[in-house]
Amino acid sequence: MWLPLLGLILGISLGLLTEIQIPEVYESYLSIAVLAALDTLFGGIRAQLQRVYDDKVFVSGFFFNIALAAALAFLGVHLGVDLYLAAIFAFGVRLFQNIAVIRRILLTKWSERKINS
Amino acid sequence: MKKRRLKIPSKGRIPISIVSLVLGFILAFSYSISSENTEELSLVSSQFNEQEKYKEELILQKERNKELTEEMNDKQQAIRDIEQSLVDSEGNIEGLVNEAEMLRLLIGDITSQGKGIAVSLVDGAYDPSQENPNDYIVHESHVFKVINELKISGAEAISINGQRLHANSFIRCTGPVITVDGNIFPAPFTIEAVGDPSVLLASVNLGGGIVDQLTSDNIVVIVEEKSKIMMPALRDETS
Repeated sequence: MWLPLLGLILGISLGLLTEIQIPEVYESYLSIAVLAALDTLFGGIRAQLQRVYDDKVFVSGFFFNIALAAALAFLGVHLGVDLYLAAIFAFGVRLFQNIAVIRRILLTKWSERKINS
Repeated sequence: MKKRRLKIPSKGRIPISIVSLVLGFILAFSYSISSENTEELSLVSSQFNEQEKYKEELILQKERNKELTEEMNDKQQAIRDIEQSLVDSEGNIEGLVNEAEMLRLLIGDITSQGKGIAVSLVDGAYDPSQENPNDYIVHESHVFKVINELKISGAEAISINGQRLHANSFIRCTGPVITVDGNIFPAPFTIEAVGDPSVLLASVNLGGGIVDQLTSDNIVVIVEEKSKIMMPALRDETS
């Protein structure tokens, strides 16, 4: 239960401690990476709650989504069209859906527990 | 708490932990990058403020300069009045006062106005048969020639494109333009001179004189007689 939270805190401290500089051109890639990670995380939590979680799906989804989004962004930069918006849109929609599902599951569990007790 | 923990399946905890680690890393990383950007922005705005401050100081200084210049003009006028009264009282000092007047005109200390001529030097038209454009544009040496001729002919005061010349003036060639006392002027150059127009015109138009020389250098020379030329007193207001 506390392991993911521990990982988050560790990641934040690591990110604050690093002094790497990246060029401004790649900042759109960074935003996509944030969204992809968020999407995968909430997707994993939702799958866990729905008891359909699978290691392979989770890990492959994480890497494949990031790769696809980065490829779209790369293509967009070279074509002069903001194609990374497509990735942001898709990730955003899925993020909201996943969070809605998680909320419903948690609400159901909470009300069940209330009735039981 | 224990009940709830039992209800949430513990499967796949480690991959989720790793992804949340990655997420935390990326979040913190982009946060530190964006905070650096805002620091840069604030640096730029502080520089801008400093610049603004200096500009205001400069404006104040210029106003002060203007006041002082006006005061100086008044004082100068007073001195001239006194000298004039001396001329009225004693005839033998008249020569000296006239000389002082001439010297003042020479160093551009007082306003000069009166009849005169204007000589315009214009670059020759583009000529494809001439390989070197240096052969048909106005050089500072041409400007020198005209000024020397005008000075020899007794011009009281001379200006180039409105910049009055004084005893210590310098004219420099700086590429396609010339620099007169630190101010840059492009062609065409209009040289105005206050003096007796008939003498000035005659000396400029002398056969084999300045106009002929410049015309043979492919320069368009326009000489005009002016009934009134006004040249302000020269003050050190270059900033």
